[in-house]
Amino acid sequence: MNQVTPFLRALGAVVWKDLAAEWRSREMLSAMLVFALLVILIFNFALELDPVGRANITAGILWVTFTFAGTLGLNRSMAVEKDRGCLDGLLLAPVDRTAIYFGKALGNWIFMLSVAVIVLPVYSILYNINLFQPGLLLVILLGSEGYVAVGTLLSTMSVQTRTRDILLPILLFPIVIPVVVAAVKASGNYLAGLEMAEIQPWLNLLIVYDVVFTAVSFMVFDAVVEE
Amino acid sequence: MTAQPKTLKILTVVTVLMLAAASLMVFFYAPLEAVMGQVQKVFYFHVAAGWTGMLGFFVAFVAGIAYLITHKHIWDIVGVAGVEIGLVFMLICIITGSIWARPIWNTWWTWDPRLTTATIMELVYAAYLMLRQGVEDPDRRARFGAVYAIIGFLSVPLTFFSIRIFRTIHPVVIGGGDADATGSFDMTAKMLQTFMFSLVTFSVLFVTLLWHRIRMGKFADQLEQLKMKLLA
Amino acid sequence: MEGPANTLTYMIAGFAVIFGIMLIYLVSLLSRWNNLRKDADLLKELEKKE
Repeated sequence: MNQVTPFLRALGAVVWKDLAAEWRSREMLSAMLVFALLVILIFNFALELDPVGRANITAGILWVTFTFAGTLGLNRSMAVEKDRGCLDGLLLAPVDRTAIYFGKALGNWIFMLSVAVIVLPVYSILYNINLFQPGLLLVILLGSEGYVAVGTLLSTMSVQTRTRDILLPILLFPIVIPVVVAAVKASGNYLAGLEMAEIQPWLNLLIVYDVVFTAVSFMVFDAVVEE
Repeated sequence: MTAQPKTLKILTVVTVLMLAAASLMVFFYAPLEAVMGQVQKVFYFHVAAGWTGMLGFFVAFVAGIAYLITHKHIWDIVGVAGVEIGLVFMLICIITGSIWARPIWNTWWTWDPRLTTATIMELVYAAYLMLRQGVEDPDRRARFGAVYAIIGFLSVPLTFFSIRIFRTIHPVVIGGGDADATGSFDMTAKMLQTFMFSLVTFSVLFVTLLWHRIRMGKFADQLEQLKMKLLA
Repeated sequence: MEGPANTLTYMIAGFAVIFGIMLIYLVSLLSRWNNLRKDADLLKELEKKE
């Protein structure tokens, strides 16, 4: 118990710090949100969304939006730490490094989910489709967890390179392809009202991905920040 | 840099001879496939190249773990060597696959799980090289490379499965999205021998190339240190 | 029963790719070796001068 409490306290402090900073400036969330809405807008014209075609591609559009907005958020969240020297301060603090990883990942997860919370109703209204289904929400929860677990690790690396902002999507996208594929198919199947047997393999894949990549990222995070 | 060790010299000669023998076997020993004709001969080296590519990425994965545990610089050199050779052979595998697909499946490209996974792997390891280019500090470069090689290799089976489930639910017209469907054939004994020999040959080729590439990496490393010494 | 399809051109293209790419890689390895050797010689000369 004594071991767990300081870890949780450190984790909570990292998350709290991110949330408080964001609450004051609101620059990251607002950028992610506007970006997400713009992506949806562009899709509307690029694909000429019509009532018939829309049902099938809603899941795809949602996940492309989350993926892109997520990259924006991940980049920003780590770049701020790096530029203001906060990362070094965090690392100097006598806390478990993994608490920093989980704190950052949890913060990023909250930001991604906040974007989803706003994008979903907007999309529902714009296209007259009910997206608030428990199944879809579960998929978003699982999918964004896997995305954020790898994304936090990779963005910690990419901000320390010369090419920083350009590098993150290049590093991240080929690795999260399983998440995107599984999440798109699972969401699409939920929206189409298919049976659980059709959806189960995708959920399993998402869960496996989440477990594997959260575990591995947390194991190697030390190597990414040590100086 | 010291002269090439004798074993390496012998290995290089053996590799060249084996490659020549394998080519001769493919062209003259293996019988002509009854339906597909000559293009089927590409198959032997196509699969062998894919196997070699996987070997390269696997070596990088293991070297990544070893580096994170031991922090010995040699593992970083092994890792880059593995990735580089893996990229070359995976590229050969993808392009020859495409050339084979054209007359057999009547298309240059199908979103078949294996083909797609191979392409995504190529992208992952291209990203690996770009990541390394962006980092100047050698120690940090090695750590980042090791981490990315591990993560990248772990994502490969998941990518494969995700695309495979994707395809079983939505079958492709051509060959059911499975390479074994259209364009499958029964291997005769001679074909099997040629195939096995090609696999062995390419494995030996891989070891030889890896060895040469590691020696080069070490040499470059020594030069770097010498430069530092002179500048200091 | 029709005989095997005539796919000779595809086979030639396939092997051209296999050996072509391997050759390109070999050439790149060799040229990198040569560059390194040149660097090494230069460094040795510099070392002597000092």
